Amino acid sequence: MINRRDFGKLVLGATALSFTACNSLASGLSTIPANKKRVVIVGGGFGGAATARYLRKFDSDVEIVLVEQNKEYYTCPFSNAVIAGMEKIDFIKHDLNTLAKKYNIKVVYAKVTKVDGANSNVILENGEKISYTRAVVSPGIDFKYEKGYTKENEKYAPHAVKAGEQTTILQKQLENMKDGGTFVMVAPADPFRCPPGPYERISLVAHYIKNNKPNSKIIVLDQKDKFSKQALFSNGWKELYGDLIDWRAAQFGGKVISVDPVKKVIVTEDEEIEADVLNYIPNQKASQLAFDSGLVANGKDWCDIHPKTFESKLVKNVHVIGDASNAAPMPKSAFSASTQGKVVALQIARILKQQEPLNPPKLANTCYSLLNPNYGISIAAVYNALDDKIQNVDGAGGVSPEQDPDGHIRILEAKYAYAWYESQTSDIFK
Amino acid sequence: MKKLAFLLALASLSFAVDYDPIRGEMLSLSCANCHGTDGKSTTSIPKIAGLDKNYMYQTLLEYKTGKRVDTHMMQKHTKGFTDEELEQLSYYFSKVK
Ligand SMILES: Cc1cc2nc3c(=O)[nH]c(=O)nc-3n(C[C@H](O)[C@H](O)[C@H](O)COP(=O)(O)OP(=O)(O)OC[C@H]3O[C@@H](n4cnc5c(N)ncnc54)[C@H](O)[C@@H]3O)c2cc1C
Repeated sequence: MINRRDFGKLVLGATALSFTACNSLASGLSTIPANKKRVVIVGGGFGGAATARYLRKFDSDVEIVLVEQNKEYYTCPFSNAVIAGMEKIDFIKHDLNTLAKKYNIKVVYAKVTKVDGANSNVILENGEKISYTRAVVSPGIDFKYEKGYTKENEKYAPHAVKAGEQTTILQKQLENMKDGGTFVMVAPADPFRCPPGPYERISLVAHYIKNNKPNSKIIVLDQKDKFSKQALFSNGWKELYGDLIDWRAAQFGGKVISVDPVKKVIVTEDEEIEADVLNYIPNQKASQLAFDSGLVANGKDWCDIHPKTFESKLVKNVHVIGDASNAAPMPKSAFSASTQGKVVALQIARILKQQEPLNPPKLANTCYSLLNPNYGISIAAVYNALDDKIQNVDGAGGVSPEQDPDGHIRILEAKYAYAWYESQTSDIFK
Repeated sequence: MKKLAFLLALASLSFAVDYDPIRGEMLSLSCANCHGTDGKSTTSIPKIAGLDKNYMYQTLLEYKTGKRVDTHMMQKHTKGFTDEELEQLSYYFSKVK
């Protein structure tokens, strides 16, 4: 018989137990049951979420664990529309709840400190380990903090190329800028997340300024001499905004020597520029996690992969997709990341069933950019993933036609930009 | 008359390949980004799930040759696929439930 004191002990014990269970992010995942296979995916963005969703489509048995550090995911696509006040921040907010519930994916919210290829496990910040049969890593980018730009001062000159808090800071700074102010963007050197992204942003900032602060000016200091869809952007800027946007190529005064994000002063080869709002987009490299996990070769910035399966060239059984991978000529885009995730899901499902990976997988990219809410342009390409390289299919792809006399194509492409976003996010998050 | 010519053209399309559902699905993965999972679009981008395979193949070929033009997006994509791959795609989407 249990007396009163023992009963108290039991209850206490139970509370303590459930408390540890709550604290344990990955309880029961340190080993894999003998009859099971487990794929652990790191990163619940466009790449990781697509992998999880489609791996379940291709394999109803495999155990899928998705580890993501944030409960909410704000997409970079359409974050420029938020900055320009066209959409609210909730428009770009997504989560992994549907993946967890509808597709039987175990979602663990934690920061991963290392993918330990030697021991086939993923190590969490609290020291817990999750064992895997195969791992997929889609952690995105990190920045090269240099020339005076640091993690600590980035909020004064927000890059806003990781969406969420940074998006809101830049949106507020633009909203609070005086009429007659100077908006300066520093655009990064290649390669970086979303080749047309900075130029879409400048277009939409110009749209906002034209309507709200018409006496202001915009300067773009570019760390390169040309950019994606350049002719389409330049012509559109002229047509919509006259000479509001002063774009400076690296060789003609764009090159930045140093920056003071707090004072918002940029020193170029020729002059010192004071900004009212400074949108500093640093040069980029794969996420720190990729470096800490030995997925980046010495002296390199991105993870080299075997194109057919996106398996790392350095760590066996670990596949790297999305922005962190070196998948050139594919651009670092949400479309690329999610296509890669789906193809990798298919290849992993085959590998786990002892089948040969498909050869060669076909990949594609499409990027729409808005110059204003009713003016869209696009770029597309199709690729074959051969054994040693990813290859553009000759003759395929290209950009929107330069001429659009009645404006019909630009309007339709703006509609498609929105439709693509809805399709793309539904396809992987819902 | 025009309609008859179209039907004749359709009839003369011979499906040279055996349907390979796995390849068809692999080829379809990028399409889903715009046309929705398995082509079941709910946006202004056309739904392609369940289209008749002859009709879809014919349409894709027309995009590829430039006979049919949208915003040029489909032309850019279809040119990246061999005719045989377009056949597999047409089969795949025709069979989606
Ligand atoms: C302004 C802007 C506009 C853009 N517009 C478009 C567009 O219109 N179309 C398009 O196709 N692309 C667009 N992009 C590009 C697109 O956002 C990226 O290419 C895409 O997000 C890459 O996906 P990913 O999975 O590689 O990385 P991410 O989307 O960054 O996802 C990585 C995830 O991993 C998580 N993570 C990272 N490290 C860890 C860790 N150690 N532990 C746990 N979790 C971790 C992060 O929290 C994040 O959720 C745009 C980008 C920008 C900046």
